[in-house]
Amino acid sequence: MLDGVLTGSVYALMATGLTLIFGVMNIINIAQGILVILGAYLSYTLSVHFGIDLFVGLIITIPTLFVVGVVVERLFMARLKGPERTSMSILVTYAISLIIEGSLNMIYSINVVQLKAWYVDKSFPIFGVYLPYIYLFGFILAVVLLTSLYIMLYRTRFGASIRASLADQVAAALVGINVARVSTICFGLGIAVTAAGGMVYGATNAFNASTSYDLISRLLTIIVLGGMGSLGGALLAAILMVTLGDVVAVVWSPIWSSPTFFFVLVIVLSLRPQGLFGKQSARVA
Amino acid sequence: MTKKGRYLRAAGVTSVALASLAMMATSSGASSSTIAKGKPVTIGISLSLSGDFSGDGTAFKQGYQLWADSVNKSGGLLGHQVKLDIVSDASSPTQVVTNYQKLISLDHVNLTFGPFSSLLSLPAARAVDRYGYAMVEGAGGAPSVFQAGLTNLFDVSMPVKDALVPFAKWIAALPANKRPKSVAYVTTNDAFTEPQIPVAKAIISAAGVKTKYYSVFPAETTDYTPIADAVAAAKAQVVVLGSVDVPTVSAFMQAFEQAHYNPQVFIATGGPDQGTAFSSVVGIKNADGMMVPNAWYGSATTPGSQAMVAAYVKKYGGTPATVSADVAEAYSVGQITQQAVIATKGFDNSKIIKYLHSGVTLTSVQGGVKFDKLGENNDATAFTFQWQGAKFVQVNPTANKASKPVLFPKPVWGS
Amino acid sequence: MTKAKPTAWSLGLAVLIVFPLIVTNPAWTSIGVLTLMFMACTTSWNMFSGYSGYVSLGSAIFFGSGAYTMALVSTHAHMAGGAALFWLIPVAGLVAMVIAVPVGAIALRVRRHTFVVITIALFFVFQLLAINASFTGGAAGIYIPLINWGASYYNVPFYYVALGMVIFATLLSAAVRRSRFGLQLLAIRDDEDRALGLGVRVTAVKLTGFVMSAFTLGMAGGLYCMLQGQIYPQFVFDPTFDITVALMAFLGGFGTLLGPLLGGLILEASQQYLTESFSNGSLYLILFGVLFLLVILFMPQGIVVAVSQWWNGRAQRRELAATTDPAAVGANT
Repeated sequence: MLDGVLTGSVYALMATGLTLIFGVMNIINIAQGILVILGAYLSYTLSVHFGIDLFVGLIITIPTLFVVGVVVERLFMARLKGPERTSMSILVTYAISLIIEGSLNMIYSINVVQLKAWYVDKSFPIFGVYLPYIYLFGFILAVVLLTSLYIMLYRTRFGASIRASLADQVAAALVGINVARVSTICFGLGIAVTAAGGMVYGATNAFNASTSYDLISRLLTIIVLGGMGSLGGALLAAILMVTLGDVVAVVWSPIWSSPTFFFVLVIVLSLRPQGLFGKQSARVA
Repeated sequence: MTKKGRYLRAAGVTSVALASLAMMATSSGASSSTIAKGKPVTIGISLSLSGDFSGDGTAFKQGYQLWADSVNKSGGLLGHQVKLDIVSDASSPTQVVTNYQKLISLDHVNLTFGPFSSLLSLPAARAVDRYGYAMVEGAGGAPSVFQAGLTNLFDVSMPVKDALVPFAKWIAALPANKRPKSVAYVTTNDAFTEPQIPVAKAIISAAGVKTKYYSVFPAETTDYTPIADAVAAAKAQVVVLGSVDVPTVSAFMQAFEQAHYNPQVFIATGGPDQGTAFSSVVGIKNADGMMVPNAWYGSATTPGSQAMVAAYVKKYGGTPATVSADVAEAYSVGQITQQAVIATKGFDNSKIIKYLHSGVTLTSVQGGVKFDKLGENNDATAFTFQWQGAKFVQVNPTANKASKPVLFPKPVWGS
Repeated sequence: MTKAKPTAWSLGLAVLIVFPLIVTNPAWTSIGVLTLMFMACTTSWNMFSGYSGYVSLGSAIFFGSGAYTMALVSTHAHMAGGAALFWLIPVAGLVAMVIAVPVGAIALRVRRHTFVVITIALFFVFQLLAINASFTGGAAGIYIPLINWGASYYNVPFYYVALGMVIFATLLSAAVRRSRFGLQLLAIRDDEDRALGLGVRVTAVKLTGFVMSAFTLGMAGGLYCMLQGQIYPQFVFDPTFDITVALMAFLGGFGTLLGPLLGGLILEASQQYLTESFSNGSLYLILFGVLFLLVILFMPQGIVVAVSQWWNGRAQRRELAATTDPAAVGANT
């Protein structure tokens, strides 16, 4: 259970990026999964070749992925226009994800790797179970980053313009918000969180480039369950997904752990099509 | 634009299309079984050079290539140089079917070798069966492959369901005071892996060792922590893990270490056999004592093994310990086909199929090969290997001269 | 050009009909069967998603259900391998339609953007069921009775059945487009709220379209199962199938009649051919991704629309050249 909350927070971090991008830009970023892996590989390179600690390395990897996000947005996303924008964004980000996957395979080979540090293997006793340090550290990291994201969104002027764009792009533009700039920065932020998510993921799982397919399907279901574009929903859905899966795996059978989650998803969606915390589209009759 | 102009253009387009069709319409049909003197014998192979199986696919390519090199160095196959025609199938069963049809009917290969994995071997064998070709393969030993009732399919490797037998027998034969009391089985529902577990369980249970935990987890699992925690909570003395890859084993090992759970024996069906690809991920210290069933390893003393390993190291670098068992599986395919070709004095696939079904015992770097009517190799010996320090050594079957004593109980994590 | 002329359509059909008679080599006919299969799937997908704007990334649900119908019925009924199995193909299509009713009922409760993601989620439910449920044979898959046709003509019956499916899907798609029902779908694509305001029963229309499009997808799955001889859950409930079908339609021309046919033809044929010739898988991924990206960015409306715009532009320029003085035309081109 404790594991579930802790791992869930890391998924929440990755999913927050995805839901933020969708909420502000109506873009579904299929490349989120491979970008998490890219983040993990960057941490891997820094720790293996330069001896930089995983958490210290984030000072480099987070800005790097922010820049990657900004470049991708300017080069490709900003060009997407018209009514099929969302669908086109799936195809474009899928293409990007193929390119990154191929490149990572060439650079790092398809042999799986895992990030190493003293806190990855060691654990400490708590409530009669052993809790690995990495889960605790990862949790703290996710909480710190999510909190800063929330503070930025709810306590700053820029955050207000992002929230305005989340609520209604046209209205936001009308009150003088530079929606294009907000979009670029949002995309950058949404991608930047994958650096942290990828580092923790890479320390708790062995990975290679094709691991990204698992990741993206999980992240997508999290944001659908939480309500697309809802930040709080992503957090809750991530924790729910991981804990529910763990509980089913232990008390019933691991075989039914993923199906159960998807069944819950289907049931929630038939009752509340907009997800747990999704705002009902203003124009639905 | 006038109607006539449009009609003329359409006619032009059609004639271009028909002309290009005609260009593609080369003569079809399989190649004849005799090869002109001085011409090479071509062998068609589809391998997964990208996708899920690309690691194994690459090792298979190396194994096939090493075999071809060795044959060509000693004068070729019945005097013909061997030429491998390798195409990529991206680990897709659809593509593998397309590929073998192309290899046979367009490239006119004389023989076909198998792709990697049970998932691809069966569709591939069905496709080449239509041409009457033999499909000798080295990786595709899942029970479902043989049940399909194909007469042209031959797997030179050990049938997978027997892989854990020497290990189970070793546990059962331990003196009662040393024999572990309890065991936990946990396996992925992979077609290749899952069938091994019940076979082992039957032998171990018969020796009075209690089953404390038995669970199957889906192949697409990404978070193994809850399952591993449940295994750890069962506190069994032996863990039998049905795994196919390094990440799975590594995840279980990590969770066990974090839970301070130290089983006396830990065997995983796949992962620890991957040489440095395994030890570098889990660390040499934690690898110590890990066991794995397999049919071959880099220090194997079977005839021809060391020559192959030396050729491998010379051509691809690395050390004998880094040579994957996949290389030996592929190499064995070549060796078996070579013996069949020499015995039948030609490249007639129907004669080769008949010969391989005749109950003759052949030899390969993996040991003896003898096919039953389903194409399973019943002469294969299963071994168990164990990491001892930085070394990977053979420990079962205990009767085998080359087997070293098992490191038992397994050292605690991190020591 | 947007509406290709009847002569062009019949010529295209003629080429497809004579193809396996001229090109008899199984190496090519096998690619031919798969290409036609994807052309039928994409056309059928486009009949719902292209017309309504609701992009489904769950088409493998119906393809996979069709494949499992073929496998389970043929093995449980102990059918002998042979042409009789072709009769199961429409059955596979019907089963897929039945499955599409609840799937559509759940997925179509939301608007397009969320619909995309829900179809992905539902797809994973089906894939997991196929892998884990007991009646599906699990991860080891199912094999069907052997079909003892000679290698040289083995693909040909499949080719013509697949061609039949392409013709069926195209005619159906064309008929829908011209019908009142088709106009309602297009109205939903343009502005769903307005369509609703004009009295279109949007939910019923969307669900009908969704269920109809499942039929050919299910039949294609049945055909694939029979062609391959055995199926595995992860390869018939395949996420890349979902994406490939959508991609083919976008590449050719989303919402057009000719586009999906063209997209399927170009993409599947080249993919089958390139994969076997490319030995470096990673490089292949990169090249495929780059090519794909360029097409989307430079021909966002697909080949058919891009070509016809270019064509119309040329014709206009030519007319201009005939009527105005050459200097003005020079500036124009």
